[in-house]
Amino acid sequence: MMEIITRLVFGLYLLVILGGAGLAVFSANLVRAFVGMVATLLGAAGLYLLMQSPFLAFMQLLIYVGAICVLIFFALMLTNAYQGGDESAPAPLSKFARSLLAGLAPLVLLLPTVLLHPVAAKEKPEATPLAELGKVLLEEYTVPFELISIILLIAMAGGVFLAWERRNR
Amino acid sequence: MNEFSLWTVFTLVVGLVAILAFIAGNAMALVWMERKVAGFIQRRPGPNQLGPAGVLQSVADAVKLLFKQILKPSNADSIIFFLAPILSFFPVALLFMPLPFSPFFTAYSPNLGLLLILAFSGINVLAVLLAGWSSNNKYSLYGAARGVSQSVAYEIPLLLAVLAIAFQHGTLNLSEIVEQQGGWPWQWNVFTQPLAFLIYFISIFGETNRSPFDLPEAESELTAGFHTEYSGMGFALFFLAEYANMVLVCCVATALFLGGWKGPFLDGFWWFLAKAYGLLFIMMWVRWTYPRARFDMLLNLNWKWLLPLGALNLLATAFVMKLF
Repeated sequence: MMEIITRLVFGLYLLVILGGAGLAVFSANLVRAFVGMVATLLGAAGLYLLMQSPFLAFMQLLIYVGAICVLIFFALMLTNAYQGGDESAPAPLSKFARSLLAGLAPLVLLLPTVLLHPVAAKEKPEATPLAELGKVLLEEYTVPFELISIILLIAMAGGVFLAWERRNR
Repeated sequence: MNEFSLWTVFTLVVGLVAILAFIAGNAMALVWMERKVAGFIQRRPGPNQLGPAGVLQSVADAVKLLFKQILKPSNADSIIFFLAPILSFFPVALLFMPLPFSPFFTAYSPNLGLLLILAFSGINVLAVLLAGWSSNNKYSLYGAARGVSQSVAYEIPLLLAVLAIAFQHGTLNLSEIVEQQGGWPWQWNVFTQPLAFLIYFISIFGETNRSPFDLPEAESELTAGFHTEYSGMGFALFFLAEYANMVLVCCVATALFLGGWKGPFLDGFWWFLAKAYGLLFIMMWVRWTYPRARFDMLLNLNWKWLLPLGALNLLATAFVMKLF
């Protein structure tokens, strides 16, 4: 019984993710593409829930749907992308090819690592307590954890720097 | 997470139905209360024709909204235009699930309850954005842009204040946070964390778009802001979601800062409701007392005062927790 429900729910999330991704890539309307992206992120949050990690699912919602998507949309609104604008024309094939290449790049980068160090599969997912997660992040993986924050800081500084240049001109 | 069983499903379904009834009932009661409070503050009677003291006014309004024709501007994006009000209302029922009204009246008590509320309340901002954009109208677009810059800004001090409480209790489970507080006012978190409560209470005005921070729907400047083009049930869903969010932030404040369902005597959900309604009354009182803030004032207050104060408060909490 439980098994069937899990499979059904997994299929549902998969549909949401793939449908959203398709909408995001192929929609001529920027805002509809954006809605597709939000659907994909929501589906991914559902997959986290299915894997017994509600913390990740809620963080996905809080950070990606609640903050990053909203900021992306804010930027979209400032561009005044009305229907029937330039971006609603069909994109040239070379653009599709290049974006396909960019989309496959992470796969090429991550696949060797995943294949060389496979994580042992479990019959049933187990929930990790939040305190344990925090301990692992701040004791075992302190250096990578801090490195990630440095990357984010550099990205933020870079963003501010770029915007500053443009305003002075 | 709990083991899957018929009993869990049963409690979840009963909880959901009860919560939806609670939301609808509360919205009606609050609309009436808001008008009465406004009337008293402005020295006029308020609604007084339908039923004793006008209590049936909200019922009449609800019927009117149900029967009103739903219009769509001719250039609006029809899918997104109708998606937005639904998106604004659907997380609301979920948001009430982890609230501990009393030890018995808790629909679902996950360990990450507080996080669940914070995560799903972000979807409302998205709905405001989509509504503002898809209406294809400058007023709506400006309202949405304001709503977003305000919600994104005020979410940060709100999170910092909530985090200080979570830090103090070492849990994100709302039931446990209430459990660790006592019945008397000096045993509540508002006594140990007055600054966090103040920051939280100011932030919720920004988060729920309530006056003096109701710039996304400022009538005198933007007609009705992001919901200018919505009529009938489209408008009603936004309206319901707004009042439900007001009740929600007050309920969360009650659980976090005011000892939840605990009182000096006879613990129970009546204490929870009384405290939450007290906070709601203060929110209305503020709305009809203060004029609307200017937008730069609103953002300055957030970035220059609430955010640094919230960060300092969190640091001080961490320091004290480590020390004792």
